[in-house]
Amino acid sequence: MSNGGLQVGRVLRASTRGFVIGCAVMQPDMPAFGSFVRAEGQKPRSTIYGLIYDVSVEDDPFVRQLISAELRAEDQEIVVRDHRENRQVPIEVSVLAVGCDDGMGIRHCLPAQPPVTLDWLYQCTDEEMRAFTARFDYFRLVLEAREVPADELLAASLRAAAAARPASEREAFLVEAGRELARLLAGDPVRLEGLLRRL
Amino acid sequence: MTLELSKLTAQVQAMGQELAAREQAHANLVELARRWLAEYADQGERLRHPARAVRAAIPTGEPLDAAYPLPATPERFTVIAADGSQIQPDRHGAALYYVINVGSLVYRHGSGQAPEAYSQPTLGYTEADLYEGRLLVAGNLLDVRRDLAELTRLADLCAAEPAGPVVALVDGTLILWVLEDLPAEGRQKKVNDYLHQLDRIHHAGASVAAFISRPRHGDVARLLHLANVGGDPNRANQEPNPLEYLPDRAIFETLPPGARSALFVSPSPINHDYYRAEHVIHFCYVNAAAEGRDPVIARVELPAWAVEDAGRLALVHGAIVAQARITGDYPYVLARADELAYISSQERGAFDDMVGTALLRAGIRSALSPKAYYKTLTRQGRRKYR
Repeated sequence: MSNGGLQVGRVLRASTRGFVIGCAVMQPDMPAFGSFVRAEGQKPRSTIYGLIYDVSVEDDPFVRQLISAELRAEDQEIVVRDHRENRQVPIEVSVLAVGCDDGMGIRHCLPAQPPVTLDWLYQCTDEEMRAFTARFDYFRLVLEAREVPADELLAASLRAAAAARPASEREAFLVEAGRELARLLAGDPVRLEGLLRRL
Repeated sequence: MTLELSKLTAQVQAMGQELAAREQAHANLVELARRWLAEYADQGERLRHPARAVRAAIPTGEPLDAAYPLPATPERFTVIAADGSQIQPDRHGAALYYVINVGSLVYRHGSGQAPEAYSQPTLGYTEADLYEGRLLVAGNLLDVRRDLAELTRLADLCAAEPAGPVVALVDGTLILWVLEDLPAEGRQKKVNDYLHQLDRIHHAGASVAAFISRPRHGDVARLLHLANVGGDPNRANQEPNPLEYLPDRAIFETLPPGARSALFVSPSPINHDYYRAEHVIHFCYVNAAAEGRDPVIARVELPAWAVEDAGRLALVHGAIVAQARITGDYPYVLARADELAYISSQERGAFDDMVGTALLRAGIRSALSPKAYYKTLTRQGRRKYR
């Protein structure tokens, strides 16, 4: 697969259930919570799909010292630019694996192998998002994931997938997704209602 | 854990009590030193010659107890800092090499621009790199190369800077400390190389200074002892000095925020035996703290050409305080240059791996020495089975 999407960062650590990416700087057009991303799998032409479920800025004692020193107005702009443009701000993006494609088409399941350290992670294009969300089998992987805010993540991913479709198709897409959720969460109407309200 | 903390408990408690008891004695000594500073403030000229004989601070024309307020700085000025770190050659390693990494930051006050940050690593691995005569370039010899690399980087950046007020800063001292076991001509050559970079900074129109955080020097305290024994160097050497262990910075904690003390000449023998007159290193103490904060006394060193020009001296003084006030107590540019130069243990490990791979690709089978190999086994974390 071509690497035409926006590069998010490089893989720091990974398992088959998900991976963590390191970024130097948070760009305004960087993918946010709920975005679909993909990394190359270890087999040639294989791809691992995931959803961003956490973006965190790691603690930085130097920044803490500057905050407590109360920067003067004349220094603020220069120091802030130094930290944002020059220093390696430790931003970590956590991704939940929700699917893979080993050349036989997209499957909503955990990949057989995780991506390799320092592999690039890319934001999915609209076309890739539409292809991935043509089916809803990945819902179960998200709803059962323990370490992520599952309902928020699923709702955010559906909003992103809807936005990747033409305006005329968005409502039908969300209604179809809602039906699938109703089926999966038939035994938990309170959770279902909360999730549907987020769409 | 091999450091058995339980065996140190009693000693640590005793240390705390000893330090607490010393506090009162320290306060009395500070009071005595300040009284002498005021009493002998105008005797600088009389003390100048004997001061050198007892390795005390050498007075300049300024009264010993002078305090100069924070001068105004230009609306726009540039502060450039460079700092270095190194990986020492390791005879137990897979290959013999050293690394010097110099970090630098160019900070343009009043510009609103992002500072320019840069790191430049250099690898020394040839026999010409690694040996000076029969001596391996390690320890002090490598420190000297790192100091020269820092100053060369500063001189390069000063030369590239557009016209305007520029201050170059290093952390530590401007006196190149070269071990005395080198032949005298070897020492002079190293100092000359260093002075050449000071010349380049001077000719670029910039100023240069070294910033020493929490200094322990006692040069001024020794000068006060000398003054108290009538300026007689023999008596000063023979009679006990009550201020022997008092750091100068304690004496100058009364400096108002932003102010500097009088200037003195450093009594270091290298300063007088190897430095040319125009580069002789002077120093003063500066209270870098902001108004309303506890004093933060730093030692600032400058070459003679920077103190003889009132404009340059005021710029260095103002620039250092402006930089220290960004963080609260230490020049921001120096903190960042250190960050850019620092080689972490993970980076050292990664570089070792890189060297190992390069050697393998070149067909060389390398190995750690047996001693280094067993350290890799035993230092992973000791376990106890009971």
